[in-house]
Amino acid sequence: MAEYTLLIILFAPFVGALALIFVSNRQLSLVRGIAAGSAFVSLIASVYLFYAYDPLKGGYQFIQRIEWSRQLGISLHLGVDGIGTPLVLASGILLFAGIFVSWHIKDRVKEFYIWILILAAATIGVFMSLDLFFLYFFYEMSVIPMYLLLGMWGSHTKKYLEMTDAEGLKQRDSVGFIFNFGANSKEYAAMKLVLFLSAFAVAALMGILLIYKFSGLNTFDILVLREQAHFSGPLATLIWLLIFFGFASIAPIWPLHSWSPVGHAAAPAATSMLHAGVLMKLGHFSIIRVAFEILPETTRELMPIAAVLCIFSIIYGGLVAYYAKDTKYVIGYSSSSHMGYVFLGMAALDYISLSGAVIYMFAHAMATGMLFAMAGWVYDQTHTRDIPSLGGLSNRMPFISAAFVIGCMASIGMPGTVNFIAEVMIIVGSWNKYPFQVVVAVLGIVLTMAYLFKMMRGLFYGSMAEKYSHSHDAVTVVDRMPLLIMITVSISFGIFPGHLYSVVRSGVDPLIARITKVVPVAEHPMNLPHATSPTVPTSASHEALAKVTPR
Amino acid sequence: MTFSLTLSVSDLLLLLPELFLTAWLCVVLIVDFSFKRIVQEQLAYLSILGLVITLACLAWFDVTGITGTLFGKMFVLDRMAIFFKVMILLATILVILLSIDYVHRFSFFRGEYYFLVVMSALGMMFMTSANDLLSLFVTLEFATFGFYVLVSYLRDDMASNEAGLKFFILGVFAAGLLAYGISLVYGETGKLVFSDMTGAAPTTGLVIGFLLIFAALGFKIGAVPFHSWIPDTYHGAPTPVTAFLSIAPKVAAFAILLRLFLVALATFKPAWALLIVAASILSMTYGNIVAIAQRNVKRLLAYSGIAQVGNVLIGLAAGTKMGTDSILFYLLTYLFANLGAFAVIMAISNAVGSDEIDDYSGLNRRSPFLAFAMLIFLLSLAGVPPLAGFIGKLYIFVAAIKEGLYILITVGLVNIVVSMYYYLIVVKKMYISEPLDSSPIKTTGPLRAVIYVGLAGTLVIGIYPQPFLDWAVAATLMFSNLLGPAASIPVPVAPFGG
Repeated sequence: MAEYTLLIILFAPFVGALALIFVSNRQLSLVRGIAAGSAFVSLIASVYLFYAYDPLKGGYQFIQRIEWSRQLGISLHLGVDGIGTPLVLASGILLFAGIFVSWHIKDRVKEFYIWILILAAATIGVFMSLDLFFLYFFYEMSVIPMYLLLGMWGSHTKKYLEMTDAEGLKQRDSVGFIFNFGANSKEYAAMKLVLFLSAFAVAALMGILLIYKFSGLNTFDILVLREQAHFSGPLATLIWLLIFFGFASIAPIWPLHSWSPVGHAAAPAATSMLHAGVLMKLGHFSIIRVAFEILPETTRELMPIAAVLCIFSIIYGGLVAYYAKDTKYVIGYSSSSHMGYVFLGMAALDYISLSGAVIYMFAHAMATGMLFAMAGWVYDQTHTRDIPSLGGLSNRMPFISAAFVIGCMASIGMPGTVNFIAEVMIIVGSWNKYPFQVVVAVLGIVLTMAYLFKMMRGLFYGSMAEKYSHSHDAVTVVDRMPLLIMITVSISFGIFPGHLYSVVRSGVDPLIARITKVVPVAEHPMNLPHATSPTVPTSASHEALAKVTPR
Repeated sequence: MTFSLTLSVSDLLLLLPELFLTAWLCVVLIVDFSFKRIVQEQLAYLSILGLVITLACLAWFDVTGITGTLFGKMFVLDRMAIFFKVMILLATILVILLSIDYVHRFSFFRGEYYFLVVMSALGMMFMTSANDLLSLFVTLEFATFGFYVLVSYLRDDMASNEAGLKFFILGVFAAGLLAYGISLVYGETGKLVFSDMTGAAPTTGLVIGFLLIFAALGFKIGAVPFHSWIPDTYHGAPTPVTAFLSIAPKVAAFAILLRLFLVALATFKPAWALLIVAASILSMTYGNIVAIAQRNVKRLLAYSGIAQVGNVLIGLAAGTKMGTDSILFYLLTYLFANLGAFAVIMAISNAVGSDEIDDYSGLNRRSPFLAFAMLIFLLSLAGVPPLAGFIGKLYIFVAAIKEGLYILITVGLVNIVVSMYYYLIVVKKMYISEPLDSSPIKTTGPLRAVIYVGLAGTLVIGIYPQPFLDWAVAATLMFSNLLGPAASIPVPVAPFGG
C-alpha cells in the first residue's frame, strides 16, 4: 500500500471529480461529501507521505513508473524528494481547507467542486512528476480549471479602476494597464490569466523540446536527463532562459506578475487560496526541478538574473499592496512580493537559503491561504472588498478577526510561525552572496508589516458602518475548521520545524552540491561553509537555527 | 507502360472493402426507390450497417496483414491506406448519425442524401489507395463529385447555393490545375506511378507540375493560400455536410500528399520542405488570427480547421517516419474532436435554430452535458492536456524538432496561445454568460451517440495514447527507410496485427 501513496494522493481528487459527474446537483450534501471525502483521502495520504519520507535516505522516494509512450520516451514517472514532499503536503492541506471554505457556494456547486479538485490534482501532479512531459502536462492542465473557476464563481474587479488615492490619482496595475483598456471584469481577469500562463508555458515547452532534442536520449525522464544530458554554451543559456521565464511567469516574478493580482481579486476564495498557496509555487518548483536538476552549470551562471528581479518583486509588490484598497489586491500583491523572497533564496544557491526558500513556499501557502479564506469570508458577509468602506468588523466577527491577526502575523514572519524560520534562513543564507538584496528583503518585511497592519485596522477596527451590522462570524465547525487547520500547521511547524527542515535539507543538499560543487559539512547548519564568514548572524537567527534539529 | 489486367481472386480480395461498399451503395439506392414508404432513418442505419461491415473487413485486413498492389501499382493497399480508410469510414458513420435529425430539413431527395454521402466515402477510400497520377486524378474527382451536390443540398437556401457554387467553381478550377500538373509531370518523366518517379531530374516542367498538383491538393485540405472557399462553404453547407467536409477530404488528401512527397519526391525533400513550411506557417497564423473575429461557430471552426491543417503540415515538413506517424495520429485526434464539436453545434442548432456564438450564452445552465462536451472538444482542438489534441500536437512538435524546424515549432507554439483565445471565447459564452433563454436543450439519440464517441475518443487517446500511437507507427512502416532518428526507435508490436 505504501508504495502507492503518490498515486493515491494524485488520483483521489480525480476520482472524486469523476464521481461528482454522476451525482445530481440537487443532492448538495452528497456532492460536498464526495468532494470533502476525496480531498480527505488525498490529505491523509500526503500527511503519511510527509512523515514516511525518510530524510536520512534522501533522494527520490515512493517512485512509481508506468510506461506511457514508447515512441516518445514518456512514462508516468512519479516520485518526491525533500522539495516536493512539503509542497504536496501544502497542496493537500489547502485543497481540504478550500473545500470547506467554499462550503456555502450556491451556484453550480457540483461543477465548482469538480474543477477545484482537478485544479488541485493537477498541481499535486506537477510536484511529483519526474518526467518533463508530465510536468508540463499537469502544469498546463491546471490552467483551464482556473479559467472556469474565475469566470463562473468569481467576482468583478471593476471597482478597482475607479479607486483613487488621496490626491485623486488613479491607482492601476502598471504593467496590466497596457492591457487593461478599461475592462477589468472577471472575464478579463480569467482570460488574461490563461493567456499569460499559456504563452509562457509554451516557452517552457520549447525549452523542454530543446532538452529532448539536444540530449539525444529520446526520453523526457528527468532522472535520466539529469545524469546523462550535458548542455553548454549558448544552447544551454537559451534553454535555461526559456525554462526560467516560462515557469517564473506563474511564480510570478516581476515584470511578469500582472496577471496574478487581477486573477486573485476575481477568483472565489478557495481558488485564490490554491492559486496563491500552491499554484504560484509551481513556478519555483518547476525551475528547481528542471533548470536546477538538468542545467546545473547554467543555473550557477544565470541565477543572478533572479537575484536582480527579486528586488523589484519585493519592493514593487509591497508598495502596490500598501496603496491598494481592495483586500484581495493587498493579499495578491503581498503574495507576489513574498514570492520575491523565494527567488532570493533560490538565487543565492546556498544550502540554508534554498532550504529557506522551500520552507517559505510551504509557510506562505499556509499564511496566504488563511488570509484569502478570511478575505473571502468578509466579502461574502459584506459584499465588498473595498477597505476604506469597511471597518470595525471585529465586533461582529471576533473569531475571524482573531484568525486574521494570526494570519497577518504569520505572513509577516512573526517568531513562532514557520514563516519566521523560512525568512531567517533565506536572509542568513543569502547574506554572503547578495547583501544588498538582503537589506531590501528586510525592508520588505517592514513594508509587509505596514500594509498588513493597515489592512487589519481597516477591516476589523475603527468604526463600523451600519449596513454591516448583520454580518456573521464563522461559528460552525465547517467554517472554523479550515482556518484552524492552517493556523495549527503554521504554528506547529514554527515551533517544531525539525522534521520539515530535515526533509527539505535532504532534497536541497544534493542539488546545491551539484550546482556549486561544494560539499556541505552537513552535521549542523552553522558549520556550513558560508557560516565561517566573518558575518555574525543576529541573535534572532541564532535562536531560530538553534531550534533546528541536527540531521 | 503495360498494365496487367488479369485479376485473380486474391487480387480482388484487396478490393473487397471497396467492392462491397459499391454493392451496398446500390442496395441503399434500390431500397430507397423500391420502398416508397421507407423511413429515411432506416436507410441511414442500413448505410451504417454497410459501413460497419466494411470497417470490420478492414480490421481483418489489418490484423492478418493483407497488403498488396493492383492494376500495375495504380491501386495500393498497405497499412497506411488501411489506417486512412478506417478514419474515413469512422467519419462517415459519425456523419450519417449526425444527419439523421437533419435530413428532415431537406424537402426532397432524402434517400439520395445517404447514397451521396456513402459514395463520397467510397471515392475517398479509393483516394487513400491511389498510387499513381491517373488514379490520383480519377479518385480525387470521384470523391469531390458527391460533395458538389451535398454542399448545395438545401435547395431553397441562398447560402447553401452560394456555398455549392463557390465550392464547385473553385473545385473545378483545382481539378484543372491538377490535370495540367499531371500532364506536365508525365511529360517530363514519362512515369505515372509515384514510386517510379524517384530520382527524376528536377526540370522546370517537373517543378511546375508538382507545384500545380500541390495547389490542387492544397485546395482539398484547405491550406493557405488555397483556403478561400472554406469559410463560405462551411457556413452555407448543411451542417452534417460541413462536418463531413471538415475531416474526410482532408484525411484522404493527406494520404495522397504523403505518398506524393515522401515517395515520389523523397529525393527533393530540402526543396519541398520549404514550400510546406511556408504553407504551414501561413495556414496556422492566418487561420487562428481570422478565427478570432468570427461570430458564427461554423465559420469559427472553418478557420480553426485551416489552422489545424497548418499544424498537420508541420508533420509533413518534418518528412520523417515519425512525422508521418504524427500526421496519422493527429488526424485521428482531430476527427474525434471536430466531429464531436459539430454534433454539439447541431444539437444546439436544432433547438435554437442558430449557429451564432452569442446564442451559446449560458449553455451550461441549459444543458450541462452539451456545454461540457463542447468544452472538451474545443480544448482538445486547442491542445490542452489531458485531451487527445494535446498529445497530437506534442507528437508533431517532437517529430519536427528532431528535424530542427525551430521557427516552425515556435510559430506553432505561439499559435496554440492565439487559438486558446477564440476557443475560450466560446467557453466563456457557454459557461460564464447568462442564458438569453433558459429553456433546457434536448438532444436526440443519434447526436448523443456521436458526442459520446467523440468524448470517448478524445479522452481515451488523451489519457492513454499508446495503442493508437502503436497503430499509427505500424501503419507507416513503409516510410522507415526515410532519413531521421525515428527510424532507429524499436518498432513495437501493434495491437491491430503486425
